[in-house]
Amino acid sequence: MSRPVRWAAAALVVAAAACSDIAPPLRSDFYEWRLIVPKTTGSGEDSLTFHWPHDRIPVRIWVEDAASLPQNVPNAIAAWREAFLYDEFDATVVSDSNAADVIVRSGAAPGIQFARARLHSALATECAGATDLDISDDHTQLRLPVRVYIDPRSEPNAPGLPACLALTTTHELGHALGIWRHAGAPTDLMFADPTVAGPSERDLATAEVIYHVPPNVEAVGR
Amino acid sequence: MRKPILLLALLCPAGVSGLAAQGTYYARLGAIGASNLLRDVIVDEITVKQSIAPMLALGGALPLGERGYRIGLEGTFASGKFHSSESGTDTDLGTVRTGTVMLELDGPLYKGFRWQAGLGGIKYWPSGDDGIFREGGPLKFLAGAGVDFRRPVMAKWDLLTSLRYDWHRFTTDELEQRGFSQTQGVSRVSLSIGLSRGTSR
Repeated sequence: MSRPVRWAAAALVVAAAACSDIAPPLRSDFYEWRLIVPKTTGSGEDSLTFHWPHDRIPVRIWVEDAASLPQNVPNAIAAWREAFLYDEFDATVVSDSNAADVIVRSGAAPGIQFARARLHSALATECAGATDLDISDDHTQLRLPVRVYIDPRSEPNAPGLPACLALTTTHELGHALGIWRHAGAPTDLMFADPTVAGPSERDLATAEVIYHVPPNVEAVGR
Repeated sequence: MRKPILLLALLCPAGVSGLAAQGTYYARLGAIGASNLLRDVIVDEITVKQSIAPMLALGGALPLGERGYRIGLEGTFASGKFHSSESGTDTDLGTVRTGTVMLELDGPLYKGFRWQAGLGGIKYWPSGDDGIFREGGPLKFLAGAGVDFRRPVMAKWDLLTSLRYDWHRFTTDELEQRGFSQTQGVSRVSLSIGLSRGTSR
Protein backbone atom coordinates (compact mmCIF):
# COMPACT_ATOMS: atom_id res chain seq x y z
CA MET A 1 0.00 0.00 0.00
CA SER A 2 1.48 3.32 -1.05
CA ARG A 3 1.95 6.14 1.43
CA PRO A 4 -0.86 8.37 0.02
CA VAL A 5 -3.28 5.46 0.14
CA ARG A 6 -2.29 4.69 3.72
CA TRP A 7 -2.81 8.32 4.71
CA ALA A 8 -6.17 8.42 2.93
CA ALA A 9 -7.26 5.20 4.65
CA ALA A 10 -6.16 6.53 8.02
CA ALA A 11 -8.00 9.79 7.39
CA LEU A 12 -11.15 7.88 6.48
CA VAL A 13 -10.95 5.82 9.67
CA VAL A 14 -10.47 8.97 11.76
CA ALA A 15 -13.33 10.73 9.96
CA ALA A 16 -15.64 7.75 10.44
CA ALA A 17 -14.79 7.58 14.13
CA ALA A 18 -15.29 11.31 14.51
CA CYS A 19 -18.66 11.38 12.79
CA SER A 20 -20.28 8.27 14.28
CA ASP A 21 -23.07 8.77 16.77
CA ILE A 22 -23.69 7.15 20.10
CA ALA A 23 -25.70 3.94 19.69
CA PRO A 24 -28.62 3.47 22.09
CA PRO A 25 -29.43 0.01 23.42
CA LEU A 26 -32.34 -1.99 22.10
CA ARG A 27 -35.10 -1.81 24.66
CA SER A 28 -37.01 -4.96 23.91
CA ASP A 29 -36.99 -6.71 27.28
CA PHE A 30 -40.16 -5.34 28.82
CA TYR A 31 -43.53 -6.88 29.61
CA GLU A 32 -47.17 -6.05 28.97
CA TRP A 33 -48.21 -3.26 31.33
CA ARG A 34 -51.61 -2.27 30.00
CA LEU A 35 -54.78 -2.94 31.92
CA ILE A 36 -57.09 -5.03 29.76
CA VAL A 37 -60.75 -4.39 30.56
CA PRO A 38 -63.96 -5.37 28.77
CA LYS A 39 -65.42 -2.63 26.64
CA THR A 40 -68.36 -0.97 28.30
CA THR A 41 -70.31 -0.95 25.05
CA GLY A 42 -70.31 -3.79 22.59
CA SER A 43 -67.89 -6.68 22.71
CA GLY A 44 -64.11 -6.77 22.87
CA GLU A 45 -61.56 -5.25 25.22
CA ASP A 46 -59.85 -1.95 25.92
CA SER A 47 -56.12 -1.81 26.60
CA LEU A 48 -55.56 1.05 29.01
CA THR A 49 -52.18 2.74 29.23
CA PHE A 50 -51.38 5.60 31.55
CA HIS A 51 -48.46 7.68 32.64
CA TRP A 52 -48.28 10.84 34.67
CA PRO A 53 -48.06 13.84 32.33
CA HIS A 54 -45.11 16.15 32.72
CA ASP A 55 -47.26 18.98 34.07
CA ARG A 56 -48.28 16.78 37.04
CA ILE A 57 -44.72 15.89 37.95
CA PRO A 58 -43.62 15.58 40.67
CA VAL A 59 -46.55 13.35 41.59
CA ARG A 60 -47.75 14.28 45.07
CA ILE A 61 -48.01 11.34 47.45
CA TRP A 62 -49.57 11.46 50.90
CA VAL A 63 -48.35 8.75 53.24
CA GLU A 64 -49.92 7.50 56.46
CA ASP A 65 -47.51 7.35 59.38
CA ALA A 66 -47.72 3.59 59.89
CA ALA A 67 -46.32 0.31 58.56
CA SER A 68 -42.92 1.95 57.90
CA LEU A 69 -44.55 3.86 55.04
CA PRO A 70 -42.73 7.17 55.74
CA GLN A 71 -39.44 5.31 55.22
CA ASN A 72 -40.50 2.94 52.48
CA VAL A 73 -42.31 5.35 50.15
CA PRO A 74 -39.29 7.66 49.57
CA ASN A 75 -37.16 4.58 48.99
CA ALA A 76 -39.72 3.32 46.49
CA ILE A 77 -39.74 6.67 44.67
CA ALA A 78 -35.94 6.57 44.45
CA ALA A 79 -36.01 2.99 43.19
CA TRP A 80 -38.41 3.83 40.36
CA ARG A 81 -36.64 7.06 39.45
CA GLU A 82 -33.70 4.93 38.38
CA ALA A 83 -35.74 3.81 35.39
CA PHE A 84 -35.62 7.22 33.81
CA LEU A 85 -32.99 9.16 31.92
CA TYR A 86 -34.99 12.21 30.90
CA ASP A 87 -36.91 13.33 34.00
CA GLU A 88 -40.01 11.46 32.86
CA PHE A 89 -41.18 10.66 36.40
CA ASP A 90 -40.69 12.01 39.86
CA ALA A 91 -42.77 12.04 43.03
CA THR A 92 -42.71 13.82 46.32
CA VAL A 93 -44.32 13.18 49.68
CA VAL A 94 -46.82 15.88 50.70
CA SER A 95 -48.42 16.59 54.05
CA ASP A 96 -51.94 17.40 52.82
CA SER A 97 -53.91 14.35 51.70
CA ASN A 98 -56.47 16.61 50.02
CA ALA A 99 -53.80 17.82 47.61
CA ALA A 100 -52.34 14.39 46.90
CA ASP A 101 -52.42 12.54 43.60
CA VAL A 102 -51.70 9.26 45.37
CA ILE A 103 -52.77 8.31 48.90
CA VAL A 104 -50.89 5.51 50.62
CA ARG A 105 -52.54 4.02 53.69
CA SER A 106 -51.73 1.21 56.04
CA GLY A 107 -54.28 -1.58 56.39
CA ALA A 108 -56.45 -3.81 54.31
CA ALA A 109 -58.12 -2.35 51.25
CA PRO A 110 -61.74 -1.48 52.02
CA GLY A 111 -64.70 -2.77 50.09
CA ILE A 112 -64.59 -1.57 46.52
CA GLN A 113 -66.12 1.87 46.73
CA PHE A 114 -63.83 4.01 44.62
CA ALA A 115 -62.26 1.48 42.38
CA ARG A 116 -63.23 0.35 38.95
CA ALA A 117 -60.04 -1.62 39.00
CA ARG A 118 -58.19 -3.08 41.95
CA LEU A 119 -54.74 -4.51 41.54
CA HIS A 120 -54.08 -7.00 44.34
CA SER A 121 -50.49 -7.78 45.12
CA ALA A 122 -48.36 -9.82 47.47
CA LEU A 123 -49.78 -13.07 48.64
CA ALA A 124 -47.23 -13.45 51.41
CA THR A 125 -48.37 -14.22 54.92
CA GLU A 126 -46.52 -11.20 56.30
CA CYS A 127 -48.19 -8.44 54.30
CA ALA A 128 -50.34 -7.62 51.28
CA GLY A 129 -50.93 -4.67 49.01
CA ALA A 130 -53.57 -3.26 46.73
CA THR A 131 -53.89 -0.31 44.39
CA ASP A 132 -57.28 1.12 43.49
CA LEU A 133 -57.76 2.92 40.21
CA ASP A 134 -60.97 4.88 39.77
CA ILE A 135 -61.37 4.76 36.01
CA SER A 136 -64.26 6.45 34.25
CA ASP A 137 -66.95 4.37 32.55
CA ASP A 138 -65.66 5.26 29.12
CA HIS A 139 -62.13 4.21 30.10
CA THR A 140 -60.57 7.55 29.23
CA GLN A 141 -60.05 9.12 32.66
CA LEU A 142 -58.33 8.17 35.88
CA ARG A 143 -60.02 10.01 38.71
CA LEU A 144 -57.52 11.03 41.35
CA PRO A 145 -56.37 10.16 43.86
CA VAL A 146 -54.94 6.73 43.22
CA ARG A 147 -55.33 4.81 46.50
CA VAL A 148 -52.69 2.40 47.70
CA TYR A 149 -53.09 0.06 50.68
CA ILE A 150 -50.26 -1.70 52.43
CA ASP A 151 -51.54 -4.27 54.90
CA PRO A 152 -49.12 -5.62 57.54
CA ARG A 153 -51.22 -8.63 58.31
CA SER A 154 -48.76 -10.31 60.66
CA GLU A 155 -47.48 -9.41 64.11
CA PRO A 156 -45.38 -6.22 64.18
CA ASN A 157 -42.26 -8.17 65.14
CA ALA A 158 -42.79 -11.02 62.72
CA PRO A 159 -39.61 -11.96 60.87
CA GLY A 160 -39.76 -10.92 57.25
CA LEU A 161 -42.35 -8.21 57.82
CA PRO A 162 -40.03 -5.21 57.23
CA ALA A 163 -38.80 -6.69 53.93
CA CYS A 164 -42.34 -7.55 52.89
CA LEU A 165 -43.57 -4.04 53.62
CA ALA A 166 -40.66 -2.48 51.73
CA LEU A 167 -41.00 -4.53 48.57
CA THR A 168 -44.79 -4.38 48.59
CA THR A 169 -44.70 -0.59 48.89
CA THR A 170 -42.33 -0.37 45.92
CA HIS A 171 -44.53 -2.82 44.00
CA GLU A 172 -47.69 -0.79 44.63
CA LEU A 173 -45.93 2.42 43.66
CA GLY A 174 -45.08 0.67 40.39
CA HIS A 175 -48.82 0.31 39.80
CA ALA A 176 -49.35 3.96 40.73
CA LEU A 177 -46.78 5.14 38.21
CA GLY A 178 -48.45 3.25 35.38
CA ILE A 179 -47.61 -0.47 35.43
CA TRP A 180 -51.23 -1.58 35.54
CA ARG A 181 -50.58 -5.25 35.15
CA HIS A 182 -48.49 -7.90 36.86
CA ALA A 183 -45.32 -9.26 35.35
CA GLY A 184 -45.19 -12.93 34.52
CA ALA A 185 -41.79 -13.73 36.00
CA PRO A 186 -41.08 -14.09 39.74
CA THR A 187 -37.74 -12.37 39.19
CA ASP A 188 -39.64 -9.12 38.61
CA LEU A 189 -40.87 -6.91 41.43
CA MET A 190 -44.14 -6.45 39.56
CA PHE A 191 -44.86 -10.18 39.76
CA ALA A 192 -48.22 -10.69 41.49
CA ASP A 193 -46.57 -12.26 44.53
CA PRO A 194 -43.24 -10.43 44.54
CA THR A 195 -40.22 -11.71 46.42
CA VAL A 196 -37.37 -9.61 44.97
CA ALA A 197 -36.34 -6.55 46.94
CA GLY A 198 -36.40 -3.96 44.17
CA PRO A 199 -37.34 -3.35 40.53
CA SER A 200 -35.64 -5.70 38.09
CA GLU A 201 -34.09 -4.59 34.82
CA ARG A 202 -37.35 -5.64 33.12
CA ASP A 203 -39.41 -3.65 35.61
CA LEU A 204 -37.30 -0.55 34.99
CA ALA A 205 -37.35 -1.04 31.21
CA THR A 206 -41.13 -1.41 31.29
CA ALA A 207 -41.57 1.77 33.34
CA GLU A 208 -39.27 3.62 30.95
CA VAL A 209 -41.21 2.50 27.88
CA ILE A 210 -44.56 3.44 29.43
CA TYR A 211 -43.47 7.06 29.68
CA HIS A 212 -42.75 7.18 25.95
CA VAL A 213 -46.02 5.64 24.76
CA PRO A 214 -48.95 8.03 24.35
CA PRO A 215 -51.45 7.34 27.15
CA ASN A 216 -55.13 6.71 26.42
CA VAL A 217 -56.16 7.44 30.01
CA GLU A 218 -55.90 10.96 31.41
CA ALA A 219 -55.56 11.88 35.10
CA VAL A 220 -58.37 14.18 36.23
CA GLY A 221 -59.23 15.90 39.47
CA ARG A 222 -57.09 17.30 42.23
CA MET B 1 -9.67 19.86 36.32
CA ARG B 2 -10.13 22.63 38.89
CA LYS B 3 -6.44 22.90 39.67
CA PRO B 4 -5.32 23.97 36.18
CA ILE B 5 -8.11 26.55 36.01
CA LEU B 6 -7.17 27.95 39.40
CA LEU B 7 -3.51 27.98 38.44
CA LEU B 8 -4.37 29.81 35.26
CA ALA B 9 -6.50 32.34 37.12
CA LEU B 10 -3.69 32.98 39.57
CA LEU B 11 -0.98 33.18 36.94
CA CYS B 12 -2.75 35.79 34.85
CA PRO B 13 -2.69 38.69 37.31
CA ALA B 14 0.45 37.51 39.09
CA GLY B 15 2.57 37.37 35.99
CA VAL B 16 1.64 40.77 34.63
CA SER B 17 5.13 42.21 34.45
CA GLY B 18 6.78 39.11 33.01
CA LEU B 19 4.10 38.25 30.53
CA ALA B 20 3.59 41.83 29.43
CA ALA B 21 7.20 41.93 28.40
CA GLN B 22 7.17 38.66 26.52
CA GLY B 23 3.70 37.40 25.95
CA THR B 24 0.05 38.10 26.36
CA TYR B 25 -2.81 37.28 28.66
CA TYR B 26 -6.48 37.84 28.20
CA ALA B 27 -10.02 37.42 29.42
CA ARG B 28 -13.10 37.04 27.24
CA LEU B 29 -16.84 36.79 27.77
CA GLY B 30 -19.20 35.32 25.24
CA ALA B 31 -21.67 32.63 24.38
CA ILE B 32 -21.24 29.02 23.41
CA GLY B 33 -23.55 26.62 21.60
CA ALA B 34 -23.19 22.87 21.22
CA SER B 35 -24.54 20.12 19.03
CA ASN B 36 -26.51 17.18 20.47
CA LEU B 37 -25.05 15.43 23.48
CA LEU B 38 -27.07 12.34 22.86
CA ARG B 39 -29.46 10.66 20.48
CA ASP B 40 -31.67 7.93 21.87
CA VAL B 41 -34.65 5.92 20.68
CA ILE B 42 -37.12 4.44 23.15
CA VAL B 43 -40.29 4.73 21.08
CA ASP B 44 -39.56 7.89 19.10
CA GLU B 45 -36.24 9.64 18.71
CA ILE B 46 -35.00 11.61 21.72
CA THR B 47 -32.20 14.12 21.57
CA VAL B 48 -30.42 15.84 24.43
CA LYS B 49 -28.83 19.18 23.83
CA GLN B 50 -27.31 22.03 25.79
CA SER B 51 -28.82 25.47 25.41
CA ILE B 52 -26.64 28.39 24.32
CA ALA B 53 -24.74 29.31 27.45
CA PRO B 54 -22.67 32.24 28.71
CA MET B 55 -18.97 31.55 28.72
CA LEU B 56 -15.86 32.97 30.38
CA ALA B 57 -12.39 32.35 29.00
CA LEU B 58 -9.06 33.14 30.64
CA GLY B 59 -5.72 32.50 29.06
CA GLY B 60 -2.14 33.46 28.50
CA ALA B 61 0.54 32.79 25.90
CA LEU B 62 4.28 33.13 25.50
CA PRO B 63 6.30 33.67 22.31
CA LEU B 64 7.58 30.58 20.58
CA GLY B 65 10.43 31.35 18.20
CA GLU B 66 10.88 34.40 16.00
CA ARG B 67 8.04 33.95 13.51
CA GLY B 68 5.18 35.17 15.67
CA TYR B 69 4.05 31.84 17.02
CA ARG B 70 2.98 31.50 20.63
CA ILE B 71 2.17 28.71 23.01
CA GLY B 72 -0.38 29.20 25.71
CA LEU B 73 -2.90 27.82 28.10
CA GLU B 74 -6.59 28.67 28.06
CA GLY B 75 -9.38 27.76 30.44
CA THR B 76 -13.06 28.27 29.80
CA PHE B 77 -16.12 27.93 31.96
CA ALA B 78 -19.74 27.80 30.78
CA SER B 79 -23.00 27.20 32.59
CA GLY B 80 -26.34 26.61 30.98
CA LYS B 81 -29.47 24.53 30.75
CA PHE B 82 -29.81 21.28 28.92
CA HIS B 83 -32.97 19.66 27.66
CA SER B 84 -34.36 16.63 25.90
CA SER B 85 -36.56 16.82 22.81
CA GLU B 86 -39.02 14.12 21.82
CA SER B 87 -41.77 14.44 19.22
CA GLY B 88 -41.50 18.22 19.30
CA THR B 89 -41.71 18.48 23.08
CA ASP B 90 -38.79 19.85 25.07
CA THR B 91 -38.14 18.86 28.69
CA ASP B 92 -35.82 20.88 30.89
CA LEU B 93 -33.27 18.53 32.43
CA GLY B 94 -31.52 21.05 34.66
CA THR B 95 -28.22 22.86 34.51
CA VAL B 96 -24.86 21.58 33.40
CA ARG B 97 -21.57 23.41 33.76
CA THR B 98 -18.57 22.70 31.58
CA GLY B 99 -14.95 23.58 32.13
CA THR B 100 -12.15 23.19 29.63
CA VAL B 101 -8.40 23.53 29.72
CA MET B 102 -6.44 23.57 26.48
CA LEU B 103 -2.79 23.84 25.57
CA GLU B 104 -2.78 26.03 22.52
CA LEU B 105 -0.55 27.08 19.68
CA ASP B 106 -1.32 30.27 17.80
CA GLY B 107 0.20 32.22 14.98
CA PRO B 108 -0.31 35.21 12.72
CA LEU B 109 -2.80 35.05 9.89
CA TYR B 110 -3.45 38.48 8.40
CA LYS B 111 -3.14 41.88 10.04
CA GLY B 112 -4.95 41.61 13.38
CA PHE B 113 -6.08 38.04 12.80
CA ARG B 114 -4.40 35.06 14.40
CA TRP B 115 -5.16 31.36 14.10
CA GLN B 116 -5.24 29.15 17.12
CA ALA B 117 -5.36 25.39 17.69
CA GLY B 118 -5.13 23.31 20.80
CA LEU B 119 -5.68 20.09 22.71
CA GLY B 120 -6.99 19.57 26.19
CA GLY B 121 -9.89 18.27 28.21
CA ILE B 122 -13.49 19.06 29.04
CA LYS B 123 -15.27 18.27 32.27
CA TYR B 124 -19.05 18.23 32.81
CA TRP B 125 -20.52 19.21 36.17
CA PRO B 126 -24.27 18.55 36.27
CA SER B 127 -26.43 20.32 38.84
CA GLY B 128 -27.88 17.00 40.00
CA ASP B 129 -26.79 13.39 39.96
CA ASP B 130 -29.73 11.98 38.06
CA GLY B 131 -30.75 11.01 34.55
CA ILE B 132 -27.85 10.70 32.13
CA PHE B 133 -25.52 12.13 34.81
CA ARG B 134 -26.63 9.76 37.61
CA GLU B 135 -23.07 8.44 37.86
CA GLY B 136 -21.54 11.91 37.53
CA GLY B 137 -20.22 14.06 34.72
CA PRO B 138 -17.51 12.82 32.38
CA LEU B 139 -14.02 14.14 31.68
CA LYS B 140 -13.19 13.91 27.97
CA PHE B 141 -10.41 14.70 25.56
CA LEU B 142 -10.95 17.94 23.62
CA ALA B 143 -9.54 19.39 20.41
CA GLY B 144 -10.20 22.86 19.16
CA ALA B 145 -9.27 25.61 16.75
CA GLY B 146 -10.27 29.17 16.10
CA VAL B 147 -9.52 32.65 14.92
CA ASP B 148 -8.86 35.73 17.04
CA PHE B 149 -9.05 39.32 15.93
CA ARG B 150 -7.23 41.97 17.95
CA ARG B 151 -7.68 45.68 17.69
CA PRO B 152 -5.67 48.09 19.87
CA VAL B 153 -7.81 50.19 22.19
CA MET B 154 -5.17 51.48 24.61
CA ALA B 155 -1.41 51.52 24.85
CA LYS B 156 -1.06 47.95 26.00
CA TRP B 157 -4.60 46.68 25.70
CA ASP B 158 -6.25 45.08 22.69
CA LEU B 159 -9.91 44.44 22.11
CA LEU B 160 -10.07 40.74 21.38
CA THR B 161 -12.81 39.06 19.38
CA SER B 162 -12.65 35.31 19.20
CA LEU B 163 -14.46 32.66 17.23
CA ARG B 164 -13.69 29.15 18.44
CA TYR B 165 -14.67 25.63 17.54
CA ASP B 166 -13.97 22.58 19.63
CA TRP B 167 -14.91 18.95 19.47
CA HIS B 168 -15.07 16.01 21.84
CA ARG B 169 -16.78 12.67 22.17
CA PHE B 170 -19.48 12.43 24.82
CA THR B 171 -20.87 9.66 26.93
CA THR B 172 -21.40 9.09 30.65
CA ASP B 173 -20.92 6.17 32.99
CA GLU B 174 -24.70 5.94 33.37
CA LEU B 175 -25.20 5.66 29.61
CA GLU B 176 -22.50 3.00 29.36
CA GLN B 177 -24.11 1.02 32.18
CA ARG B 178 -27.42 1.14 30.30
CA GLY B 179 -25.87 -0.35 27.21
CA PHE B 180 -25.20 2.70 25.07
CA SER B 181 -22.28 1.90 22.84
CA GLN B 182 -19.81 4.19 21.09
CA THR B 183 -19.87 7.88 21.90
CA GLN B 184 -21.46 11.01 20.51
CA GLY B 185 -19.33 13.55 18.68
CA VAL B 186 -20.12 16.97 20.15
CA SER B 187 -19.16 20.16 18.34
CA ARG B 188 -19.17 23.45 20.17
CA VAL B 189 -18.88 26.95 18.71
CA SER B 190 -18.26 30.05 20.77
CA LEU B 191 -18.14 33.73 20.01
CA SER B 192 -16.59 35.95 22.63
CA ILE B 193 -15.14 39.37 23.18
CA GLY B 194 -12.63 40.54 25.72
CA LEU B 195 -9.41 42.34 26.48
CA SER B 196 -5.86 41.21 25.89
CA ARG B 197 -2.76 42.74 27.40
CA GLY B 198 0.80 42.27 26.27
CA THR B 199 2.65 41.77 23.03
CA SER B 200 -0.15 40.62 20.81
CA ARG B 201 0.88 41.36 17.27
